[in-house]
Amino acid sequence: MATLNLKNIQKIYPHSNDQKKAKKKKGEPEKKTNLQVTDQGVIAVQSFNLDIADKEFIVLVGPSGCGKSTTLRMVAGLEEISGGELYIDGKLVNDVEPKNRDIAMVFQSYALYPHMTVYENMAFPLKLRKMDKDEIDRRVKEAAEILDITQYLDRKPKALSGGQRQRVAIGRAIVREPKVLLMDEPLSNLDAKLRNQMRAEIIKLRQKINTTFIYVTHDQTEAMTLGDRIVIMKDGFIQQIGTPQEVFDHPANLFVSGFIGMPQMNYFNAKLVNEGGKYAVAVENCKVILSDEKQKNLAANKVQPQDITLGVRPSHMVLSKQPGNTLTATIDVSELMGSEVHFHANANGKDVVVIVPTMNADGERIDSYHAGDKLNLTFSGNVCHLFAKDGKNLEF
Amino acid sequence: MTQTAKKPVSTKKTILRLLLYFVVLDVCVITLYPYFAMLCTALKSREEIFSGGTVLPITAIWSNFIDIWSRAPMARYMLNSVMIAGGSTIIAMLCGIPAAYALARMKFKGQTAFLGFVIVSQMFAPVVLLIGIYQVMQTLNLTNSILGLVFINAAFNQAFTIWLLRGTFMGISADMEQAATIDGCNRIQSMMKVLLPVAAPGIVTTLIFIFINAWNEYTVALCLIQDDLLKPLTVGINTFNGYNIIEWQYLFAASIFAIIPVVILFMCIEKNLVSGLASGGVKG
Ligand SMILES: Nc1ncnc2c1ncn2[C@@H]1O[C@H](COP(=O)(O)OP(=O)(O)OP(=O)(O)O)[C@@H](O)[C@H]1O
Ligand SMILES: [Mg+2]
Repeated sequence: MATLNLKNIQKIYPHSNDQKKAKKKKGEPEKKTNLQVTDQGVIAVQSFNLDIADKEFIVLVGPSGCGKSTTLRMVAGLEEISGGELYIDGKLVNDVEPKNRDIAMVFQSYALYPHMTVYENMAFPLKLRKMDKDEIDRRVKEAAEILDITQYLDRKPKALSGGQRQRVAIGRAIVREPKVLLMDEPLSNLDAKLRNQMRAEIIKLRQKINTTFIYVTHDQTEAMTLGDRIVIMKDGFIQQIGTPQEVFDHPANLFVSGFIGMPQMNYFNAKLVNEGGKYAVAVENCKVILSDEKQKNLAANKVQPQDITLGVRPSHMVLSKQPGNTLTATIDVSELMGSEVHFHANANGKDVVVIVPTMNADGERIDSYHAGDKLNLTFSGNVCHLFAKDGKNLEF
Repeated sequence: MTQTAKKPVSTKKTILRLLLYFVVLDVCVITLYPYFAMLCTALKSREEIFSGGTVLPITAIWSNFIDIWSRAPMARYMLNSVMIAGGSTIIAMLCGIPAAYALARMKFKGQTAFLGFVIVSQMFAPVVLLIGIYQVMQTLNLTNSILGLVFINAAFNQAFTIWLLRGTFMGISADMEQAATIDGCNRIQSMMKVLLPVAAPGIVTTLIFIFINAWNEYTVALCLIQDDLLKPLTVGINTFNGYNIIEWQYLFAASIFAIIPVVILFMCIEKNLVSGLASGGVKG
C-alpha cells in the first residue's frame, strides 16, 4: 500500500579496472548492448520518470540488458541510485537500507534459504522483525493457504519442484505485507504450462493482497495480461508508458510497435501524402486515406508529407477480392490455426504476415489458399501506424 | 539369439573390469605397504627387529602400544598437538572467513594485487623462512611456546584458507544474501544467518584441512620448542629415536597414534575435499 515516485532515476555502472585496461588497448570495449558509455561508466538506466499509484501493478518489460532488473534493484535498495530521487509514500528513500524500505522481492532464482524448511523460510523476515510467535504462525499459515503449499511447510526447498519453490518465494515476500512487492522475472524458470498457471495465480494473488506491484519480465504476454500499466524499456531509456491497450493500439515508436504484439507488426516503406487537405499513405500502388482521428493528430502536429515506415498488424491486413489499389503478395507458407490462418507471404521482396479468420462473417471459407497463390492485400485507414524515418510515431 | 549377441560385450566388460581392479589393487598395495610395515614393526620385539627376519612379526607384542605411554609423555604430546592444531584452525578461520567474504563479495581497490600476494605467500616452503620466523618469535618471546606455534601454523594455512573459502563463497549465489537483506538482515546478519550455513560443507572441509596440516607440522616445531613437555606429537615421538639406540617398535607404535586422527578426519571430508578444491580452483 504505497505510492512510488521515481524522478529522473539514473544508474551508472563504473568501469571496472579490467575494462579500463581493455579500453586502453583496444580503444573501444566490445559492445553487447547499445547502452550509452561515458567516462564514468556504463549508463544502464537514465531519465527514468514514473509515478506509481497505490496498489497499481506496473510491469517493466524490454529486451535483455535494457535495465529492467537494474531499475528494480534500485527500488529494492540492492543497487545504489547514481542520480535522481526515489520516493516511497512521499518519503525520499535513496539512502535508506533495503531492510528499512518495507519492500519485498521475489528473485528470478527464487533465492530460498536452502538450510531452512519452507516454514522457516517464510517466517524468516517476520522473526527478524521480532514479531510475536503466534502472529508469525498465523501469517505463515495464511500465506501457505493462499499459495496452496500448506502440505510442504516442513520440507526443505531442495525437495520441491520449480513451481512449488516459486510459490514459497512469493509466500516469503507476502507474509510481511510489504508496501511494495517487487518481482524479477519470477516465472522465467518455469515451463510453459506452469508459467500460464502461475500467471493466473499472480492475478488471483493480486486481488487478495493490497500491495503495489512492480513486475519485471521480458515476456509480452505476461506484461499484457498482468499490468495495469506497462513500462517498455530499451537501452536504459523508457520508450513508452501506458496501459496494455494503449501500448498496443498507439505504440510511441517503431521499437514499441515491434516489441508488443505477436506475430510482429508488418512494415512497409511508404509515402505520406497530403491530397486536398487529407492525409493518405501510399505503398506501391495502394493508397489508403487515413481515418479522421489520424487526420486530426497529424494536422495538430503539422506533419509534412514525407517518406515513412508504415506499420500494420498482421490481423489488420485484409484480403481483397479484386486487385487494384491493393498490395500483391505471394504466399510462402500458410499455417492453419483452427479459427484463423497465418499467411507468410512475400510482397515485392518483403515478408508480410497476414492473419485472417478461416471463415468470414458471411460464412464463406477462405482456407483454400495454398503456397504460391497470389493475395491482394489492403488495410483500412484507422489501423495503420505511421513512423518517421527516425522511428518516432508521427501522431505523438 | 539375443543372449549370444550380448555375450561378447559382457565378456569384454568383465575383462576390463578385472584389469581395472588389478590396477587399483596394485596401487593400494604399493601405497599401503609402508603402513603395513609400520604396523608389523610396531608389533615386534626389539631383538626381532635387529635380527632381521621377515616383515611379519613372529609374535605380536601388543604391549608396545601400551608401553609407549609410560616411556614418554605421550599424552602430553597429544594434548599439545591438539592445542596447536585446534588453536591455529580457529585463528585461521576467524581471519580467513572475513577475508574470503570481502574477496568474494565486495569490490575494492587492489583486490587483484591482494589475491596475488596471498598466492605468493603460499609459495615459500616453511623451511626457507625458518631463520626469519625464529628471529620474529624470539623478539615476541614466543619461542619454546605453544602459542607461538599456534600463530605460525595459522599463518602458514591462511592463504590456503582464504582461497578455499573464497571459492566456496563465490560458488554460492549472492541472491540469497540479498534476499536476506531485503528480509531485514544487515550485512553481518546476512553472512551469519545465510551465507555461512549454506557454505557449511566448504567451511568444514577447510577447517579439517587446516587441522591436519597443523597436526602434521614438524620442522618449525622442532626448531622452536626445546622444552620436552611443550612438544607436539610429531616432534615428541623422536624421544624413541635416542642417542644410542633407536627403539623402532615404540617409534612406529607412537606414529600410528599420530596418524589415526588424520585418517579419521580425512575420511570425514574425503567427498567434500575433491569438490571443495575443485570449486576453489575453478572460481579462483
Ligand atoms: N554490476 C554491473 N556492472 C556493470 N554493468 C552491469 C552490471 N549489472 C548490469 N550491468 C549492465 O547493465 C545493463 C542492464 O542490466 P539489467 O540486469 O538491468 O538488464 P535486464 O533488463 O534485467 O536484462 P535481462 O532481461 O537479461 O535480465 C546490462 O547491459 C548489463 O550489462
Ligand atoms: Mg534482469
